[in-house]
Amino acid sequence: MKAKLLVTLALLLATGLATSCHQNHTVAATPDPLTGAYDSEPDWNDGTKIIPLNYQQAQGKRVFYQYCVWCHADSTPAGPSNRSNLTPNPPLANDGATLNPLSDDFVRNVITLGGAAAGKSASMPPWGKTLSPDDIEAVIAFYRVIASPAYQPPARPGPQYSVR
Amino acid sequence: MPAEDMGKVTKRLRLIFAVSSLVFVIVLAISPVRDYLSDWRQYEREYVRFAESRPDTKRLLADFHPEIEQIWIPQMQVVDRCTTCHQGITRPSLADASVPQPFRTHPPIPHRVRDWGCVVCHRGQGLATSVRDAHETTLAWEQPVLPVKYIQASCGACHHAELDQTPRLDRGRKLLLTLNCVGCHHLQGAERPQMLGPDLTNIGTKVSREWIYKWLKDPRTLTADDGTVTVNGYLNQPEPRMPKFRLSDKELVAISGYLSTLAAEPVQPYKFDPRIVAELGKRPDLVDQGETRFRQMFCTTCHSLAVTRAGETKLIGGDIGPELTKVGSKVNADWLAAWLRNPQSYLPHSKMPRYQWSDQDLYLITQYVQSKLTDSSLLSDLPKLNAPSSEDVQLGKRLFAEKGCSSCHVIKGVSPQTDFGPDLASLGSKNASQLEFGKSKIARTPVAYIEAKITDPTGVNVAARMPQYSLAPGDLDALTTALLSMTGKSATAGLEALTIPADHAQFRPAGAFGQLFERYKCYVCHRFNGYGGTLAPDLTNEGSRAQKQWIAAFLKNPQTLRPTLTFRMPQFNIPDEDASTLAEYLSMVMQSPTVDQAAADSKTYTPEMANLGKQLYEVKYQCQSCHTIGSGGGYVGPNLNNVGNWITPAWAMAWLKNPQSLVPGTIEPHREFTDEERTALTAYLMTLKQSASSPAAGAPGRGR
Repeated sequence: MKAKLLVTLALLLATGLATSCHQNHTVAATPDPLTGAYDSEPDWNDGTKIIPLNYQQAQGKRVFYQYCVWCHADSTPAGPSNRSNLTPNPPLANDGATLNPLSDDFVRNVITLGGAAAGKSASMPPWGKTLSPDDIEAVIAFYRVIASPAYQPPARPGPQYSVR
Repeated sequence: MPAEDMGKVTKRLRLIFAVSSLVFVIVLAISPVRDYLSDWRQYEREYVRFAESRPDTKRLLADFHPEIEQIWIPQMQVVDRCTTCHQGITRPSLADASVPQPFRTHPPIPHRVRDWGCVVCHRGQGLATSVRDAHETTLAWEQPVLPVKYIQASCGACHHAELDQTPRLDRGRKLLLTLNCVGCHHLQGAERPQMLGPDLTNIGTKVSREWIYKWLKDPRTLTADDGTVTVNGYLNQPEPRMPKFRLSDKELVAISGYLSTLAAEPVQPYKFDPRIVAELGKRPDLVDQGETRFRQMFCTTCHSLAVTRAGETKLIGGDIGPELTKVGSKVNADWLAAWLRNPQSYLPHSKMPRYQWSDQDLYLITQYVQSKLTDSSLLSDLPKLNAPSSEDVQLGKRLFAEKGCSSCHVIKGVSPQTDFGPDLASLGSKNASQLEFGKSKIARTPVAYIEAKITDPTGVNVAARMPQYSLAPGDLDALTTALLSMTGKSATAGLEALTIPADHAQFRPAGAFGQLFERYKCYVCHRFNGYGGTLAPDLTNEGSRAQKQWIAAFLKNPQTLRPTLTFRMPQFNIPDEDASTLAEYLSMVMQSPTVDQAAADSKTYTPEMANLGKQLYEVKYQCQSCHTIGSGGGYVGPNLNNVGNWITPAWAMAWLKNPQSLVPGTIEPHREFTDEERTALTAYLMTLKQSASSPAAGAPGRGR
């Protein structure tokens, strides 16, 4: 009984500490587009929220900001975006409502073979000969991680498991 | 001995025997129990349980053996047992984030784990079989696992050349160069440039003693009204190359006194034509005109100005030259005019081009700089500084050498210093015991040492001579990564053979072109055969790409139809003969070996071909998504209104076949056009011409 009480107290203390530490950290986390940002991306709808990226997503971000950003974002490294010039308007890269229902296979096809091949606008060029398959997978991973509303991968079979 | 005594002895002996047997058994059992409880066995049992909880158990356990696994690569001296616990590293099905560590798959990287092992990149002790030994500093192994945020340092240990995949490392290497670390330290793969800090031989003719005092006290000279914003500390802006030295007031007085007396070879003040001064001086809009010329000449391509909009102060402009927001309060008027006319007469290795000035432009711009780019309170908070006493000058001269100033700054007659600071060429492979931590409280690891040293040098060693840099957090990480990547000579010949050297291309043309190339400093922004800046288009193949007449016309009047560009080619006022010399050389010499000018002839193009090309352009391939023709279209790619006068047909043909083979990394997608389609598109493009007199005539700024 006493042990239980102690454990509860310790837990409460730990959560308290954790939250106070966390608050200190959020103050320091300002988006830093040039230097610190290759492995994180500020949420496009809420600049104070920073999305951490893994290796593949970070490579995707690099490819995105070189090739895709011009038409799939509203602000670009050069300033204005080409998006509003195009009919139909290309989806924003973080447009979860549009992109989340599309399977990885479909998105991969559109990027590789171009919009026309998938029955979409021919304004989207095929990138299969410009980008490597790894690059394309990386870009998809980047789209998925910045998606708003958040992307839920298709359910995987098998029970949840955790170590220790 | 009586019999009952014998019995007692036997009994005691038996007891001793029994106890020692028990102890013996327990001792024997310790080893198997310890083995059973060892970290790696526990993780392997854990892995089996985990595999059994998943539907693909059979596949996950197919090549699993309950023993120590290792990756052995003799030529690299790699024996990595990491895969004993990190069972999933090479199993693609365990990539999901829900898979618990240490079983998750390694993210996809260009090197296969089976071919390279783990510690080549991650450091740590590959032979170890316990978690602590493998990851942390132990008595026997001083290199702990590298924190993931510095992992690109390991890429840099072999890849001395730039890599797309390692932005943090590249940024750090660039910072090492721009912060002039090489002034005091020997760095791996970095050479001393011709000029680090400016030559101070004549500094007394350029700035006042007060300004020197203020600059030395804190080189971040500009603050916003509330005193918080420092211009060179802006997000995204590089540190000023001049760091902050911790100087006492007495030292500041002495050094500023010494420097203000330096005027060995003063530049002659430029005498403006008095008629022009008299005529322009009468104009009420003199300064406004100067500002207009300043903008028209695109000084902001290299220099930035602080602009306050909606309460937020930002630096706008390039970072090749110094920021100029308050330069009018800094430099002497005579010096400014002489400098603008011929920068190299003051600083022989300055990157500033030598413009062709008209007296009128020069007067307008100097007036603008002296009346608008000023701050009357810049030097107001300083102590009274009179003409320096001879003691001040003597002390200043001594301090100049003691503080290591002559590592970066040349003064004629003062011997330069090299390797003032420690050699850092193999810093990244140093063990903690090889580094001097002093009495500091930082963790005893090489990574913590580097972090602490560049954040606050005196925190590690109170007497450190290293100046104080104030780097943004991202830059700190980048710099640490770059320093960790300098591991010195490779441990084995096998590893040495794998090293990819950095590119040290040089391009030094001779003759008339060479002189103009130096005069206008083309290489500061443009790249030639791998040498030069990256701000503007690479001109290595310019002769194959652009028509000669177009190059000459562009040089005389560089403009762009891309409204989004903030950085554009400055107006050098290049005279006709210079422009034709430059155009002649570029089109004769800067040729791509893969573009055959004879292979395409615009005379063979028929109107039918051009019509087909127009159809392809507008309907099938929808090039107008990115390119502008007429007034419609996108502005990702260059404007094509004048492409018929600009691009050669052979280049257009080659470009449409494979753009990345001509300009690596260009964003033009590589598409599968048939030869007929390429010819038709080229024929169409060659019909797009604008007459030179049309006001919109121009060309794209960046031929990406």
